[in-house]
Amino acid sequence: MIDAENLTRKFGSLTAVENVSLHVNEGEVFGFLGPNGAGKTTTIRMLCCLIGKTSGEARIGNFSVDNEQDCLEIRKIVGLLPENVGLYENLSAYKNLDFYGKLYEVPAQKRQENIERLLRLLGIWERREDVVGTFSKGTKQKIAIARALIHEPKVLFLDEPTANLDPEAAKTVRDFVLELKKEKRTIFLNTHNLDEAERLCDRIAILKTKLVAVDSPKNLEHSLYNRRTIIHLEAVSDAMVAAVKELGMVKNLRVTDSKLILDIDNPEKDNPEVIRTIVKAGGNIQYVTEMRSTLEDVYLKLIREASAQ
Amino acid sequence: MRLWKSWIVTQKDLSTMSKNKYVFYSLIGLPILLGALYPVTFIFALNSQIASLTHAQLLAAANQSTDIASIFLVIIPAFLPSYIASYSFVGEKIEKSLEPLLATPTTDGELLLGKCLAAFLPCMGATYVGAAISASILDAWSYTRIGVFLIPNLYWILTVIIIAPLACVLSVEANVIVSSKVNDIRAAQQLGGLVSLPLIILILVAVSSAQLSLLLAILVSIILAVADVTLFYLSKETFQREEILTKWK
Repeated sequence: MIDAENLTRKFGSLTAVENVSLHVNEGEVFGFLGPNGAGKTTTIRMLCCLIGKTSGEARIGNFSVDNEQDCLEIRKIVGLLPENVGLYENLSAYKNLDFYGKLYEVPAQKRQENIERLLRLLGIWERREDVVGTFSKGTKQKIAIARALIHEPKVLFLDEPTANLDPEAAKTVRDFVLELKKEKRTIFLNTHNLDEAERLCDRIAILKTKLVAVDSPKNLEHSLYNRRTIIHLEAVSDAMVAAVKELGMVKNLRVTDSKLILDIDNPEKDNPEVIRTIVKAGGNIQYVTEMRSTLEDVYLKLIREASAQ
Repeated sequence: MRLWKSWIVTQKDLSTMSKNKYVFYSLIGLPILLGALYPVTFIFALNSQIASLTHAQLLAAANQSTDIASIFLVIIPAFLPSYIASYSFVGEKIEKSLEPLLATPTTDGELLLGKCLAAFLPCMGATYVGAAISASILDAWSYTRIGVFLIPNLYWILTVIIIAPLACVLSVEANVIVSSKVNDIRAAQQLGGLVSLPLIILILVAVSSAQLSLLLAILVSIILAVADVTLFYLSKETFQREEILTKWK
């Protein structure tokens, strides 16, 4: 649904985005991570035909960002939630959405239905006639999300959708994104919130002017460190440690308090054998957990490496 | 260019502006002030010496007064856009609403036209209110004193129907360019006022000259129209997605 090939944008001598190539499938939630100034917003703006590119190619659906006529078509199938909500503060929630519905060429009847459906879904239908200036930041964000969806776009670009929101409002927004995911919309999520990216995204791209990595959150986490299994025991004996060390699949073993920390390449396959060995050696297992690197570990490592280059 | 798209933008801007009391007061205040001030002053001045004037002298003085009144009227469309356009353009900047607006399937030209119309229409509305006030006062006086209606005459019609709208367009376009360079409404109004000042002087000179002959009046109208078209292209250059998102700070 979204394709970019060597997408580059320069502002004078400053390169904001360099040779970014990515492919986002239809119905996929694609996370875009990166520090401030990494070029995330510039990439979104290029993909939404808001600013031009210096070189490379990009397509949304069957439309190219190069062509003026295609850009009008792209804007019809794309919904954008920019970093700043940009609502008209002295117009009501309803009038804000109605205005955008008209610009997106949504027929009057459909427009009314969509406004009601979205405002009810977000819990603000009762306050539809209140001017936006009287709403909290979280509610404004919800209205801005409704605005991005007023024309039922196939592709949704969300730029920092939960930034500066309180935990409750942020959760509402995240839950709403999950609802949209069920509707099979393609969502391009630009965020600083790694936990949010991990929970919502099918795949994640890490950007620092250039694309540093693209993969699923799970694969990115596994890519950084070996997978570790932690076995919590009532007590650890030397015989038990010796028996486990003899197993070929255990690459490394550490003992901390009454825990065994094991490096195992394929824990799904090898853990049952390890556990049988420990039990046989007289070990009383309390529980078994997995220790894995977090997305934050991966993100920080990759960004540091990219900065060092 | 789809005019209905521009009209949606215009309607929204008019709705937003109608809720701003300062814009509302200036739209009401200026036409009342300029529409009534000169005719009332003129009538008071003339009434004090009416006994010493012949009918012909009185008629000549009255005719001159309509010419001056029409000059006053041109100040409204030349000045008001500095106030209204600053809300239309800088207001969007302040509310950071330009990005979602530019993300809609609307062309730059349609958005620009819609926003220019939103500044143009209330300014011209105010001009016509001023013209109606001015004409009513002068006609009421002239009919009761000398038995004739002074307004409309050819130059008054030319000024109100042709020169005032052209002057208004010129001022709106100048203010679009000003708005792209500043990021708060007061600065836009001050700078817009500063830009409008030489514009007002030029327009006043043009309108005064136009009253000398019909040919000169047509020439002034053509010059204003050419200036409008030139400035439209300049303002269109300023109002482009890329420019707005990367340079309008």
